Amino acid sequence: MMSSTAGMREMSSRVASTVGIIVNPHAGKDIRRLVSAAGHTSDSVKIGIMRRVAAGALEQGAERVLMSTDTHHLAERAVEGLDGNIEFIDGPTTGSHLDTVAAAASMWKAEASAVVALGGDGTCRDVTTGWPDVPLIAISTGTNNVFPSSVDGTSAGVAAALVATGAVSIDRVGSAAKRVSLHVNDPARDVAVHEEALVEAALVDTTFVGARAVTDPATIRWVIACLANPASTGLASIAGRVHPVGRDDAGGVLVRLGPGGRRVRVPLAPGSFATIDIAAVEPLALGDVVDLPSGGVLAFDGERNTPTSANTTISATIERSGPRVIDVDATLEIAARDHRFDAGTSSRKERHGE
Amino acid sequence: MELSNDVLMDMHRRMVRIRLFEEAAGRLAEAAKLPGFLHLYVGQEAVASGVCAALTDQDQITSTHRGHGHLVAKGGEFKPMMAELMAKSTGYNKGKGGSMHISNLDVGMFGANGIVGAGAPIAVGAGFANKYRDDGNVAAAFFGDGSTNIGAFHEAANMACALQLPVLFICENNEYGEFTPRDKTMAITDIVDRAAGYGMPGVIVDGMDVVAIHEATVEAKARAVRGDGPSLIEAKTYRFYNHHGVQNLGLKYRTDDEVEVWKQRDPIFTFEDRMIDANNASRDDFDAVWAELRADIEEAIQFAEDSPFPTPDQILVDVYSDTPSATSGAAQ
Repeated sequence: MMSSTAGMREMSSRVASTVGIIVNPHAGKDIRRLVSAAGHTSDSVKIGIMRRVAAGALEQGAERVLMSTDTHHLAERAVEGLDGNIEFIDGPTTGSHLDTVAAAASMWKAEASAVVALGGDGTCRDVTTGWPDVPLIAISTGTNNVFPSSVDGTSAGVAAALVATGAVSIDRVGSAAKRVSLHVNDPARDVAVHEEALVEAALVDTTFVGARAVTDPATIRWVIACLANPASTGLASIAGRVHPVGRDDAGGVLVRLGPGGRRVRVPLAPGSFATIDIAAVEPLALGDVVDLPSGGVLAFDGERNTPTSANTTISATIERSGPRVIDVDATLEIAARDHRFDAGTSSRKERHGE
Repeated sequence: MELSNDVLMDMHRRMVRIRLFEEAAGRLAEAAKLPGFLHLYVGQEAVASGVCAALTDQDQITSTHRGHGHLVAKGGEFKPMMAELMAKSTGYNKGKGGSMHISNLDVGMFGANGIVGAGAPIAVGAGFANKYRDDGNVAAAFFGDGSTNIGAFHEAANMACALQLPVLFICENNEYGEFTPRDKTMAITDIVDRAAGYGMPGVIVDGMDVVAIHEATVEAKARAVRGDGPSLIEAKTYRFYNHHGVQNLGLKYRTDDEVEVWKQRDPIFTFEDRMIDANNASRDDFDAVWAELRADIEEAIQFAEDSPFPTPDQILVDVYSDTPSATSGAAQ
């Protein structure tokens, strides 16, 4: 187990080029497999992806692979028998999303140069809570996968190592993502909370967080999105189907729900459609601040998360201060043009039996 | 799905009824007033309550050796339950079943069960009958994480899926099979990873959150009633007492810290806090529920203590059912 790196970021001289791997063991297993045709992502699938990421990173010259630790011991099992400098971050595991937040923070302290995260939109949100501008490749193993992509672990590991070793500069292949930033102030508790979402935030008119899924379209009051892709599923698809906003577009959109306006069909969960009443659509520029109604449960990136009271004040803005998302295809293309995949020496060729 | 206050308060009442019944049973066992083993459900109340609040009296459940909570949540009465635990003739099973065989068919509770894994196949039989009769009823099997290692579970899950029966598989994963941690007996962490192998959806819910469990059960029941077959719901939960009894046995299979962390997530108190925060109920409302049910439990204990034991001539009664066709057939 690694322990020496924690808290040493500012003191170290040259740190081994490091690829971090974070897995959310809970991704792809929640109630949405009952309310929709969402797929199940088993531990063995996640272990396989992690192993391919680690193997790809080591193959491409990462001097160190740093694994998150998790209650399911996925990381340990994923790298069993792999040769290379593989370490695990220290620390207790809680079995909650806080493990993902803590893992990302630990990887920042350990000076990882690129992080590969396995999960859905919620997992990516937790990673960026721990490390806001993390250089990130997100592999979808969740339910709603607006933010992560379905890239194979092998290529993700290779791309992460190319960035971590400096073979491909992150400035050429990594662009800062947008995020929805919310200030939530509950006067009764005398505490203001800062919340973030990478895709969308929404207010759901209900009392309990419960099983987290948002299934009843009649309970959705508003959706604010920085990514509104009409080809997505979940709450983001509401915004996506009335006012598309891409990754490269400046700003986002606020959609208020209510009767009297357009009626739009949306896939509220994978394979499951609902009719949504749109009261207003308000495009937002970067930095615009909007005050939003409260009195329900706030949902972030598709999941009910934070109860509010009617007296809670909520203000939101769209910022381009999110993770630096590494373009895997572009990274590998640059590397190929630069002959980064050449086998090099004859001894290496012999080892591969050529 | 927004739950009405009636449903929320009903689920709370079910949880408190279980807590009070189990705490009372624990005290009586310590005082040597209950014969036999006692496996208490304290800590897991949200699971039985959230599930059973989504079921009718005609829907059936099967249970485990930790079964009092399931019967209470399904609508079992305190008096005949307490009498049954005390082996009195006024018990649900005339005092001859006891803790691990308690049942009440009137509310669709097909019995606690001393054999690990044995409840699931019974639920599949009930599910088969529901489908055969096309009556819209569903059968729910409660079982623990350890029982999914048992052959009976495999056969039950396989058959329920093969025949697309209206069955809900409710796994209460409390992380320990008796005194053995789950990771010593299986290579997977989440029981739902088994579901796809049978061809049914599997979902994980917070087993300390009655609302989450209820929401999942409503969806799984709707699937079953539509004819879409079984579902597996894995509730991550924890028992606050040991495998059996109430006393600290001094065993080191889990740490006091771990127990304490889970107790911080007590399903009843966290629910009450959220309801009060949301102005759905007041502390006084909840105090009144506890007071009323405490009085009920005291009355039930008195009733059980005052009841007679079964007489020796009853020892073979109800052991076998009457089979008139066999006897009358022979006579003809």
